[in-house]
Amino acid sequence: MGITAEYNTTAGRVVIDENEGHPGIKATTLSYGQINDEMLAMLDKPRPSYYLLLLGFLMALGLGVLSFAIQVDVGIGYSGISHPIAWGFYITNFVFWIGIGHAGTLISAVFYLTRAPWRTAIYRSAEAMTVFAVFTAGLFPLVHIGRPWLAFWLIPYPNERMLWVNFKSPLLWDVFAVTTYMSVSIMFFLLGLIPDLAILRDEAARKGKKLKALLYAPMALAWRGTNHQWVHYMRGYLIFAALATPLVFSVHSIVSWDFAMSSVPGWHTTIFAPYFVAGAIFSGLSMVLTVLIPIRAVFGLQDYITNHVIQSVSKMIIFTSIIVGYAYAAEFFIGYYSGSPFERAIFYYRPFGEMQSWTLLGENQINFPQIAFWLMVFCNVIAPIPLWRWKIRNNPLAVWIITILINIGMWFERFNIIGSSLQHEYDPASWGEYWPTIVEVGVTIGSFGFFFTLFTLFAKSLPPMAIMELKEGTNPPMKHAAKKDINE
Amino acid sequence: MKKGLSRRNLFKYMGVGGATAVVAGCEKKPEKLIPMLVPPTDYEYTPQTAYQYMTTCRECDAACGMMVTTREHRAQKAEGNPNHPVNQGALCARGQASLQTLYNPNRHAHPLADGKQIPWEEGMQQFSAIIQAASGAIAYLGKPASGSEGDFVDEWLQAAGGGQRFKFNLLTQKSQAEANKIAFDHADVPEYAFEKAGVVFNFSTDFLENWGNPVENARRFTDMHVYKNGRKNKFIHISPQVSLTGAKADRWIVINPGTEGLVALAIASVIQKENGAYKFLKKYLQAYSPEKVAEATGVSAEILSELAIDAMEHGPLLALGGGNVSATDQSVETLVAVNILNAVSGALNKTILFSDQTAPESSTHQDLTQLISDLNAGKIKLLIVDDSNPVYALPPSMGFLQAMKKAFVVSLASQKSETTHAANLVLPALTAYESWGDAFPRNGVRSIQQPVMSTVNMFDARAREDILLSVAQSVNKKAFSGNSSYLDYLQNIWQKIQRKVGDRRNFDSFWISVLENGGIFEKPKFIRASLNRRVASVKLNDPGMAGSDGLTLLPTTSLLLGDGSGANKPWLQEVPDPMSQIVWDSWMEINPDTAQKLGINDRAIVEVSTPYGSVQATAYYHFGIHRNAIAIPMGQGHQHSGDVADGFGINVMELLPDQMDKAGSLVFVGAKAKLKLINEKSYTVNTDGNARQLGRDISAATTVEELNHPEKHSAGHNRPVEFYPDRSETAGYYKPYRWGMTIDLDRCNGCSACVVACYAENNLPVVGKIRTAIGREMSWIRLERYIEGYGDDFETRFSPMLCQHCGNAGCETVCPVYATYHNPEGLNAMVYNRCVGTRYCSNNCAYKVRRFNWFNYEFPAPLDQQLNSTITTREVGVMEKCTFCVQRIQGAKSDAKNLGRDLEDGEVVTACQQTCPTKAITFGNLMDPESKVAKNALRDNTEKRDRQYEVLAELNYKPAITYLKKVNTREVVGHDSDRHGSQDPEQTHS
Repeated sequence: MGITAEYNTTAGRVVIDENEGHPGIKATTLSYGQINDEMLAMLDKPRPSYYLLLLGFLMALGLGVLSFAIQVDVGIGYSGISHPIAWGFYITNFVFWIGIGHAGTLISAVFYLTRAPWRTAIYRSAEAMTVFAVFTAGLFPLVHIGRPWLAFWLIPYPNERMLWVNFKSPLLWDVFAVTTYMSVSIMFFLLGLIPDLAILRDEAARKGKKLKALLYAPMALAWRGTNHQWVHYMRGYLIFAALATPLVFSVHSIVSWDFAMSSVPGWHTTIFAPYFVAGAIFSGLSMVLTVLIPIRAVFGLQDYITNHVIQSVSKMIIFTSIIVGYAYAAEFFIGYYSGSPFERAIFYYRPFGEMQSWTLLGENQINFPQIAFWLMVFCNVIAPIPLWRWKIRNNPLAVWIITILINIGMWFERFNIIGSSLQHEYDPASWGEYWPTIVEVGVTIGSFGFFFTLFTLFAKSLPPMAIMELKEGTNPPMKHAAKKDINE
Repeated sequence: MKKGLSRRNLFKYMGVGGATAVVAGCEKKPEKLIPMLVPPTDYEYTPQTAYQYMTTCRECDAACGMMVTTREHRAQKAEGNPNHPVNQGALCARGQASLQTLYNPNRHAHPLADGKQIPWEEGMQQFSAIIQAASGAIAYLGKPASGSEGDFVDEWLQAAGGGQRFKFNLLTQKSQAEANKIAFDHADVPEYAFEKAGVVFNFSTDFLENWGNPVENARRFTDMHVYKNGRKNKFIHISPQVSLTGAKADRWIVINPGTEGLVALAIASVIQKENGAYKFLKKYLQAYSPEKVAEATGVSAEILSELAIDAMEHGPLLALGGGNVSATDQSVETLVAVNILNAVSGALNKTILFSDQTAPESSTHQDLTQLISDLNAGKIKLLIVDDSNPVYALPPSMGFLQAMKKAFVVSLASQKSETTHAANLVLPALTAYESWGDAFPRNGVRSIQQPVMSTVNMFDARAREDILLSVAQSVNKKAFSGNSSYLDYLQNIWQKIQRKVGDRRNFDSFWISVLENGGIFEKPKFIRASLNRRVASVKLNDPGMAGSDGLTLLPTTSLLLGDGSGANKPWLQEVPDPMSQIVWDSWMEINPDTAQKLGINDRAIVEVSTPYGSVQATAYYHFGIHRNAIAIPMGQGHQHSGDVADGFGINVMELLPDQMDKAGSLVFVGAKAKLKLINEKSYTVNTDGNARQLGRDISAATTVEELNHPEKHSAGHNRPVEFYPDRSETAGYYKPYRWGMTIDLDRCNGCSACVVACYAENNLPVVGKIRTAIGREMSWIRLERYIEGYGDDFETRFSPMLCQHCGNAGCETVCPVYATYHNPEGLNAMVYNRCVGTRYCSNNCAYKVRRFNWFNYEFPAPLDQQLNSTITTREVGVMEKCTFCVQRIQGAKSDAKNLGRDLEDGEVVTACQQTCPTKAITFGNLMDPESKVAKNALRDNTEKRDRQYEVLAELNYKPAITYLKKVNTREVVGHDSDRHGSQDPEQTHS
């Protein structure tokens, strides 16, 4: 520990400066007070540009709400979902947002357990992202189903009619998986916040802001920072991290089973669970960078979110990109190797569209799934390749552009899986096409509005970085020990 | 004592008042119903109970017997009358949809004078005034009316001071009667005994669609054509176009348009040479030897001789001629040629049977030309038109509309049409469901038509005959003395009939038995006919329509819309045409080779112009059409027939000349069309996702050869063996019933009657063209049409696809709320109320037969009165699908329970099975080894074993529907290379 990796142009290699300290933050020399001040400054009264941004997100959210209202009023048929494509944009969005929600827990729990120190500066935001993304994802089943006012029937609750849910249905597993993940993420998020909330409470009390103090006080759970409390807190945090870790893998596995458990060609495959988990981490990490790189620039947090952090996340992105790319290839191979005409047909259809001999004498037609497929391949397999170069990884702007491409690509990956398979199932007479309508686009935009509204509110009301862990990363305030490495 | 009403009295009054309200309400106004808690025992009907009434379907001239189910005094379902010898319980799609003639929102609701609503009294006064003013210059233009109505109208015209009756039928068989008169001295249409034939040559008729009685034709044809006892009789389609009828053929011989007669004579000449029959024809037929006609017909001499050998070896032959596609100016000669072929091959009096009485003469289209010139000359002052629609149906080049405006036109129609739109006075008539009548479609068949319910209360209409009767009595006191209504007149006629048939009961009991039975049906008597020598003087010329000076236009009939009268019925518009799978539209069939030469893509908009007019039609690639011809179906392109019909498709009659053949029938084929590309894409909606099944054997076929040598091929399709025990071994399942179905694809001809029957039985909403375009149609049966092969050697297959009620269903396990589950009788039950609409079941259904309610669909009044009251309608967000008519199963079960026994085979009949003219569908209990369905479905049936298969059996969904493969007499070329289409795509591509 206590090392900073920097590319030294004269040396032409990475030089490790042992005196610079912590790899996650460049702030080992900062005092506790400085960290407090800088972090709390982020929660100061926002500038007008903040409100402008918030307004934009709220408008997007409003568009989504309006679209949904129209859909409920007119009927689900107002969307482009149809027969035989009974799942479309909404389920795509559901899987997409659940995927986004994976990075937070991965960073905060898995990397905590594996002691990856660069997580310190970003895990709080990533966790908040997780919670909000799962919220967003959780809305989509409601938007999607035919009778949303009866959605509570999906929950097993005792009732006088003795009606029970079907435990064989992957959709029900989904209900359990997502609600479990949501509750654990919320608790983990709140647990991690306790010491920081205590700081906020104390600061508010010190500045005489009674309302704020009143708000933060119950959330801080009477945190005093005593040694006793710290011992219990760290133990509890560890247990939660251990509990949350399997969820990172289980949730998206179960989501993938919505597809893999069915008999639809292109869905019915065993590769889906690892493929989806890798994809979720891939998209989640990309979203973390998409969100944090602008925040870093706006608040000037280069000392906290160092290039090293961005590089580390980028390496994870490269790794998961390879897994995802491998999964794409494996799907095609298995499609061919299975010998099943249905599988072969769907894997021909995804990249190339209708085969000429399939139709009477029509021509090859490029359709929505083909656009989705090639966007997916480009964004998820080809676009991350530049990240192999250290120079690109070290350039936040380049990384940011690539992560945006990955987000687009991952959305289309989900659409590619959902949309294309349903268009060409077993019975050719019932093949169909799918194009979204304005309500689906509206709700999709609305979901981004919902997510970013929540995140924007979060960024100004709770510390977006874990203050107490940042302090952990610095040299403790000891006499004559300002320069001493913390781990010695 | 308290003042006023005591509690006891209040209840008394309430009881009395309530009962009277109900009785009064049910007599006249069937739309507002208040059922009593405990109905009185002497009440005339029981709520929720179905009553069946026998009547006659009047949608076309075939006049099938019909049995109408009414509940709460509303007709809810039409079925064929099982006693009726013509249709024997089956109905076609149009017959099923006749309910929408009754409940059509576009019916005339009030009398109209020049488009303005007037009271009935005023209308009747106007009518009698104009009759008096016309003083005999009256023309009555109506349907041919085989029953008493014709005599009634004739008598009425006399009473009204004179006039002439014109019988109008666009799809007339007049030319056929004329040809039979020339050849056999019988101006009649004979009965075609398909079942006695060994081989059928079809010269362009559409006998499964509109020619003769399609229901009867389908049944008798299937009896002849179906695979049994290891063999199958051949059906050869000799025509420039493959219609639904041609799609069933074992072989299609492409001939040049208009050369049916030459082909018939060429075949006859080979046969005559062999068997030496009818010596006087020897020289005549030599002029038409295969070598001589080969060029004109486009069929090589070898094939013609081959056909002749076929006819001789596999006879008796049945050669059929007629229909639109061969209706050239030589159509009488063509039909004579077909008669010669029948006679020479010895089919006469074997497969072609002439009745001992000839049918009454009917008017010709030539007579209408007379009518038009009379109208133009002002010789006719009053024109009365019934429900027929000559303004739409006749070619505009005849100028009927302009001529009609010269006279005062009274329309006695129930449905809105182009003709009523142009009429001066519209007096709304009742439909066949609400009025008395009869029909004698052929000798020995007397079918009664009785009102099965009171008038639909939205419509202030009166029976056509009653209007005529009362108006006649107001202008002529002596008219129809003793008849206060048409029923009296009808009963008088039936009294005569009673005497004729020798029934000695009193009339009342005779009358009741007629109504119960649906009519009187006697065995037909046939006489021997012989070929007249004068046929040798009938000359047939090469019409030369295959030349390159444009494409010959073939106006084909529409299976669903008929001559256009079906276009205002939502079901018939919504159900896809089985051949093209196109809905709510018309199209232009064109051979892909021709189209590509002209640079016309599939679904491009083309301007079709003939010297008589031009229309814009959608090109539809069809292998089954001659390279120098195009075909456009009739029936669409309405302008004033109500919002269901108006604005959809085109009217092909606009392209036809005002030309008659020798029998005075309209010449349909003769115009040459020129095409001009207008637009690359048209908004034409078809329901098939893909026309080819890519070797997936959804609609499987085998050959006679293969069936007779099972050892050479893989024998049968066994159900997959499974590790887990079958549900039948699980307690609580399948005891005593496991409902199942078999569908014999060798019998199915794609007529779509089952689809319409399902709409009627199960309250399926109609969604319209725009919603069908994005797959929102609600039909529980998808009549799949697959095309195999390429070019002239292609095959069309039909298979009805409906919920398979799988024993191991994909939909059941994935529903999170148990809205769909496997019930103990093997039904894949759907609990509408529990459904939240995740649509996962639809995704996981390999057969894609689940339909989702994307909207709250409306049944515009009074169509809502047709809804089957034993089941519900479904709200938005709910999945639905075929239930195997669970309401019928439950009804039959409760009836059986009352008798203290289990159900017997054949007691549950699903709506689709009931109406199938060819009996392709069998339904019943699979657990009863003696049931018909078990005998068809179980693998120990040695006769059927090699044909049984389950669709997509490899998925192990264990469907309850077993299909029996279609049997071909030969392998279709191109079939084999296509079989591997999906597995090795690149190979078939080249």
